[in-house]
Amino acid sequence: MRREPNVSRVPVSVRRVPGTFYILIIMISLASITIPGFGTVSNLLNILLQGSFLAIVACGATLAIISSGIDLSVGTVLSLSGVVTGLALHAGIPIALAILSGVLTGLICGIITGSLVAFVGLEPFIATFGMMSMAQGLGLVLSNGASIPGFQESFRWFGEGVVWKVPVPLIIALVIVACIWWLLRHTRLGLYIYAIGGSEEVAGWSGIEVGRCKLALYSISGCLAGIAGVLLAARMNSGHPTVGVGWEMDAIASVVIGGTPLTGGRGGVIGTMVGVAIVSVLRNILNMLRLSSPWQITLIGAIVVIAIGLDILLRRWRLALEG
Amino acid sequence: MGDGPLLKMVGITKEFPGVKALKGVDFELRAGEVHVLVGENGAGKSTLMKILSGVYRPDSGRILINGKEVQITSPRKAQESGIATIYQEFNLIPYLSIVQNIFLGRELMTNTAIPRMNYREMRVKAKELLDSLGIQISPDTLVKDLSMAQRQMIEVAKALSLEARILIMDEPTSALTSREIEHLFDIVRALKASGMGIIYISHRLEEIERIGDRVTVLRDGEVIGTKDVSGLSTEELITMMVGREIGDLFPRERVSKGEVALKVEHLSRRNVVKDVSLEVHYGEIVGLAGLVGSGRTELARLIFGADRFDHGEIVISGRRVKGDHNPSASVRSGLSFLPEDRKEQGLCLSLSVANNVILASLRRLFPHRITSPRREMNVTLDYVRKLRIAIPSPFRAVKSLSGGNQQKVVLAKWLCTQSKVFIFDEPTRGIDVAAKAEIHGLMNELAEQGAAILMISSELPEILGMSDRIYVMHEGRIVKEFTRDEATQEEILRYAMGGVGGAA
Repeated sequence: MRREPNVSRVPVSVRRVPGTFYILIIMISLASITIPGFGTVSNLLNILLQGSFLAIVACGATLAIISSGIDLSVGTVLSLSGVVTGLALHAGIPIALAILSGVLTGLICGIITGSLVAFVGLEPFIATFGMMSMAQGLGLVLSNGASIPGFQESFRWFGEGVVWKVPVPLIIALVIVACIWWLLRHTRLGLYIYAIGGSEEVAGWSGIEVGRCKLALYSISGCLAGIAGVLLAARMNSGHPTVGVGWEMDAIASVVIGGTPLTGGRGGVIGTMVGVAIVSVLRNILNMLRLSSPWQITLIGAIVVIAIGLDILLRRWRLALEG
Repeated sequence: MGDGPLLKMVGITKEFPGVKALKGVDFELRAGEVHVLVGENGAGKSTLMKILSGVYRPDSGRILINGKEVQITSPRKAQESGIATIYQEFNLIPYLSIVQNIFLGRELMTNTAIPRMNYREMRVKAKELLDSLGIQISPDTLVKDLSMAQRQMIEVAKALSLEARILIMDEPTSALTSREIEHLFDIVRALKASGMGIIYISHRLEEIERIGDRVTVLRDGEVIGTKDVSGLSTEELITMMVGREIGDLFPRERVSKGEVALKVEHLSRRNVVKDVSLEVHYGEIVGLAGLVGSGRTELARLIFGADRFDHGEIVISGRRVKGDHNPSASVRSGLSFLPEDRKEQGLCLSLSVANNVILASLRRLFPHRITSPRREMNVTLDYVRKLRIAIPSPFRAVKSLSGGNQQKVVLAKWLCTQSKVFIFDEPTRGIDVAAKAEIHGLMNELAEQGAAILMISSELPEILGMSDRIYVMHEGRIVKEFTRDEATQEEILRYAMGGVGGAA
């Protein structure tokens, strides 16, 4: 490909590496030195596998947050999709259709929240908060509050299988991340999501159909949560109605740590992956240190605040040096 | 081009709840002319232009382009009809690049099986547009990194890329320096020569003479008249706009000045403000002149405590400012700051007029921390009357007010604190002639009652007309002090531009 001199091919808005990337490097280095067993291939692969599910969900959260919205429903939609898939499998429906039913469940949830935001004009916080509760409740109703365990081998392959030693969920996550990256960078919808986050009014005045863009992005987010739900059910060999509790917070934290501000308009999926890595590495470290779950929750909250705080301080420091 | 007008608007009416914004307006634009639209704030200019750019629909009336009737039902429809608008608040998205902004909503896609954004072609076209406007910036620069003047040029580039035949410019020079204005005017002349029709909204009378071919005056939603600019006197124009004679634009009697109210000594911050000393006395209006970027606003922010200073000393009403200087302490010691950007820093736009007025005086009005709606209302109505703020109700959100009335609300807010020391940063930017005269009158009144005023302004007539003394800044330093009698526009400009060996 021929390149024009002078003019870089990449739009500036997606080029920068978030400052938190260095925090990730430091975390991994320190952990490799101090914690025996952290640096092994099997553990690192384990982190990647664990992070795959979060990565898929966080992609959707990235879209919502860039548009200066938010999606609180991804965690419970993930649970609901797992439950629906489990029920479908137990009912003897073919695997492909069972998977499709789980994904469609997520998509439908997304279309509902998206329509509420786009055409009724609800705040994304309210619409997705409502969906969060509805999906949770529906999951509990459908499953009678209990997990739906025991699936056939061929379905579990989607959670446990490996292709050339690479876990299947990781491959799917990588494909999805690549698609979302491409969407944000090379499609109209992607640009419009940035534009809406930058200024909804200006976007509308430029002839962009803001409502349709919002519908699309919440639908994508719901669909991704559905995919993650199906994969997680396959991985855990059960569809559990509360498996996704708190995932929306991990997803939002990943996005924000990754440098996409809650005010929207900039950021991107690469940064979010750094955020996902930080959250996943952190969970792994805390597990290896055998910290109890309540302490894990406490520490993760603290780390999120510290990581973003450090990023802001670094930026201010850099500005002070320049000015 | 045919002989008929490029654009014709006939009998346009528009009513908002409670207000008849336009009462049957006729307007006409020829190809290759700059048609200036003037009128006080609230006269209906913006409404008329928003109808033309598809933001509002008219209640009745017809719009004809090249003699053919068009329905402008949306901004997109306006674009397709060849109408482009450069709004006063720029219509650009800060974190997108120049290319992305110029083509927003009309991206070029590749012809591949899966179409994607064709940034290469868009970039080439954007570069051509920028070159044709004489701008040397990479099209990948983010808009947030551009100056106001550059953003404006990007807006022009966007209009050109739309192949617009009708360009609406809403107060295009309000944020520009005089050099940038020259450049803009050159471009406007070039566009005009290429046959574009330009509707130019402005408050600056001298611009009308310089750039306008015809001028239409709107008042209270009606057209007062359309005239050729040549042969039209300023007085005539102002009379048309306000419907009454305005006497002296800068009426003033000055009482003798009192003690020192504000004293600044050797104040410095990094390389934006360098070793500045000045004083303002009670009963005195002191002008602070200088080009945009000379450090005037930065100095005001230091004095008010919005930024920290590295060296120096500030004394407000005899009280020395300590290291932990901040706006809250400034307000308590009786200093008021009317910022340049009133929408961002002067007002809480979505709050009511009443809330905004009492916002800085809660401590004084309600010492027991419990507010009283009746007291709030009485205080507000008092200022609404005193400052002649035109509002239907004190409960109305300030964002719905015109610029002049908004500025009056900011002033009311500070008057309410009963402070005696004021810093006005560009007090009349974007405000129409009549409201301007009123603001000036109020400033004079304040000074007569013994207040000390430091006024930053880019408009030299305002500086000269209002000030007792004038400081001129250049590159962060005060390079000259004038008394009222010594100062002339030429002299101030000479110092402001660094023409006299003041700056190191």
